[in-house]
Amino acid sequence: METLDLDLDHSELTLDAEPMLINVGPAHPAMHGTVRCVMELSGEVIERVDVQVGYLHRGFEKMCERGTWTQVYPYVDRCNYISPMLNNVGFSQACEKMLGIEVTPRCAYYRVALGELARISDHLTCAGAMAMELGAFTPFLWMIKGREMVWDIMEEETGARLTHSFGRVGGMAAPPTDSFKESSRAVVAQILSIVEESERLLFGNRIFLDRLQGVGKISAEDAISLGWTGPCLRACGVPYDVRKSHPYGRYDEFEFEVPVGSEGDCFDRFVIRLEEIKQSARIVEQALTKLPDSGPISVNDPRVVLPPKHEVYTTIEGTIRHFKVIMEGIKIPAGEVYAYSEGGNGELGFYLVSDGSGTPYRVRIRPPCFLVTSGLERLITGSMVSDVVPCFGSLNMIGGECDR
Amino acid sequence: MPTFKLDGREIPFEKGETVIQAAHRAGIDIPHYCWHPGLSIAANCRMCLIEVMPPPGRPALMLNVLSYDAASGQYIDQQKPKLQPACQQQVSEGLEIKSESSPHVTKARGAVQEFLLLNHPVDCPICDQAGECRLQDYWLEHQHAPKRMRDEPVHKPKAVVFGPTIVYDAERCIVCTRCVRFCEEVAQDPVLSVRERGNVNEIVVSPGRELDNAYTLMTEYVCPVGALTATDFRFKARVWFLRNVRSICQGCATGCNAHLDYDPRDGEIYRHRPRENAEVNKYWMCDEGMLDYRRAREGRLVDAKLGGEAVKVGTALDRAAELLRAAALGKLGVLLSAQHSLEDNFAVLELGTKQLGASQVFSTGRPPGEGDTILRHPDKNPNTAGVASLVAPRKPQNLSGLAFAIQSGAITHVLALGSAVEDEAVVPMLGKLQALVVLGAWEGPLTEAAHVALPAASWAEADGQFMNAKGMVQESEQAVEPLGQARPAWKLAAALGVRLGIPIPFRTLEELRAALSGAAAGPKSKLPLQPGAMQ
Repeated sequence: METLDLDLDHSELTLDAEPMLINVGPAHPAMHGTVRCVMELSGEVIERVDVQVGYLHRGFEKMCERGTWTQVYPYVDRCNYISPMLNNVGFSQACEKMLGIEVTPRCAYYRVALGELARISDHLTCAGAMAMELGAFTPFLWMIKGREMVWDIMEEETGARLTHSFGRVGGMAAPPTDSFKESSRAVVAQILSIVEESERLLFGNRIFLDRLQGVGKISAEDAISLGWTGPCLRACGVPYDVRKSHPYGRYDEFEFEVPVGSEGDCFDRFVIRLEEIKQSARIVEQALTKLPDSGPISVNDPRVVLPPKHEVYTTIEGTIRHFKVIMEGIKIPAGEVYAYSEGGNGELGFYLVSDGSGTPYRVRIRPPCFLVTSGLERLITGSMVSDVVPCFGSLNMIGGECDR
Repeated sequence: MPTFKLDGREIPFEKGETVIQAAHRAGIDIPHYCWHPGLSIAANCRMCLIEVMPPPGRPALMLNVLSYDAASGQYIDQQKPKLQPACQQQVSEGLEIKSESSPHVTKARGAVQEFLLLNHPVDCPICDQAGECRLQDYWLEHQHAPKRMRDEPVHKPKAVVFGPTIVYDAERCIVCTRCVRFCEEVAQDPVLSVRERGNVNEIVVSPGRELDNAYTLMTEYVCPVGALTATDFRFKARVWFLRNVRSICQGCATGCNAHLDYDPRDGEIYRHRPRENAEVNKYWMCDEGMLDYRRAREGRLVDAKLGGEAVKVGTALDRAAELLRAAALGKLGVLLSAQHSLEDNFAVLELGTKQLGASQVFSTGRPPGEGDTILRHPDKNPNTAGVASLVAPRKPQNLSGLAFAIQSGAITHVLALGSAVEDEAVVPMLGKLQALVVLGAWEGPLTEAAHVALPAASWAEADGQFMNAKGMVQESEQAVEPLGQARPAWKLAAALGVRLGIPIPFRTLEELRAALSGAAAGPKSKLPLQPGAMQ
């Protein structure tokens, strides 16, 4: 049977097609947070696209200027809320840099262990969601199961699954629980097998590969010029990882690789995240080995760290110390600092200005995914409508972090 | 000016000054409890210890001390310099002094602070001083270490009632004797003294007496810790929630400079605190004045009233304009108020005399009261001199003058500012007026007798200037929003002028002040606002 449109190729008949404007988001399930894409389509091809962030604007940087330095933690929790522990650690480091405080070894390794667990949960979420949005629901459930395990540990350690507010300037809110090492080791082992299973499920799937490979390609130069960092940049072959390039918090003592891609397409970004989970698992294991079972979790500096509760209730010195830290806030010396660490999506920077009072003068956050999202327009212009979903998914835009 | 060296920095000083005074003037705060710039030197808290370096070529005065060596568990012989209290040490040319740069001083201050907190109760959560307490500030700055004593602290009397205004807590007291010295030297009523010695000493009131002079609240104010608390402020507010403005006390014609503390969250006003001004009140205020903050919100006229009925301000302004328009030429009198600011009085005076052609100007205020040679002035109005300066070279007539004018039929209509009158006996005469329009902040004889009463803002609710008995014009800042429908009286006067179809030369405070300073008879000089100083 002849195909119906056979003669159309040679006929005079043309379709008068005007470019179609289509609006995806800001309230669309595939647009994760609240991002709006106004696309101009010619058939199924995206001719032009306008990516608009800013539908989520809580003004959290401004809110940070209201309370004490410690009261900033709940706000940074709500930036990248898939890996809030990394934000907590990043902010703590920025404050400590201004104060000139070095945290205790126990705190340093605890931060590394918790931070890498958070990174695992971040990457699991991104990879799982990417698979789900392309129709593969099973890997999503498996990976989210893995994330739940991480969050169970977080709940055990911090009391909260999502927004921990667990970091403190000069330490952490509490020392590791007795079961931390044991449960972390067990969970990491299970997550590695989940990742392996998911890889087996997905990497043999032609549809999945076809929808990712060669889609949403970007060159290393373009990615750098856009200010990309993190897994998305490494997928382009640039081995920039803050943990390796500018080691902080004792990361120089750890053995791990920085996986890089070659194509800079959606598939590379997907694979990089899975590889990084495996590297994080290595770091967690090393950190657990190094983590001392005893010793102070916070530095003993009365300017910044709260006294033990029993001292607050029984001695005037403890009460005064508590009062000063809570009511007046930590007095960070006047000055400014830019401190950066490797967040779930790349370089998470904190630019802080202090006027020497107990309240931040300015808190500016460099959210990695804000810069990454700025490249979405370039990724999807000229591609098919169906490519929007994997491209957007592979960037791991987190609404709270992209908040401007 | 001669100089001396403090921590390597050249500090100028005047002859006879002590180290702490010279440093204070240079902006360096040497920690201290017992020293107060307005009181005699006691040098008993030992917090301001400094190291005075010996003259070149001379040995330092050293003391032999035993110090504990933790490593060996032995006491070893050591020497340390004899430290001097900075509040007592007079400065001389070229003297070299080490304060924070001396490890001996740092150690001594930490030790003093540890001693002061040795028997201190765990009271911060229930102490009104928390947040403005020297013990808290200096602990973090100078001691920042936990307590080493393991014994039960010494217990002493708590919540001792010293008098109608002051409650004393002996456990919190560091016996700096500031309150004792204040009563003796400033209030001239030596009613407080120190009993016992060592860690059981405490402040007591003389037998048979109460702390009930006119300056009792100042003892609370000079107390660097939470030992003396004011009954009025006790458990009312936490100081870190309070904000303050630079205010002028409205209690009498002295015009003491004050801080007016209020809670910005609900507009509640909590207290008056003295603001240092060497020309007026030095560091002090009287009880009457410190408690006078209450009048900012109490007994207020918050609604416009037509013959006692509450109405909207607009309605009342319409009616007032109608009444004033009906006044026959020359039959209108203007009654100014020594209770209101220069701005309010000026606006009412402009409206009444320049625009409405009032022939006679009267003035009233609160009746006179008790005075003394310290601060309190018998004239209980903050702006008597200001009103006089506005009307100068004429003199405003008093209320009896107004009564006489009403009696004689010379005045049938009155535009009045204020609420209180100095002589209540005259009030019935006001009933004979055909129209009495009053702009008043408080409920009082005037607003009650008024045909139209308009609610004006109190001093705490508007920026205003007041001229004290010495003829100094001082500015008071707005703290809170006016209560109810109230608004500044000068704004009411301007609104009234608009309704009367009169061109009003001022719409904003700036315009009003420009007109005020341009007025021929207006006050000539204004003192700059003085910031509060460390004490």
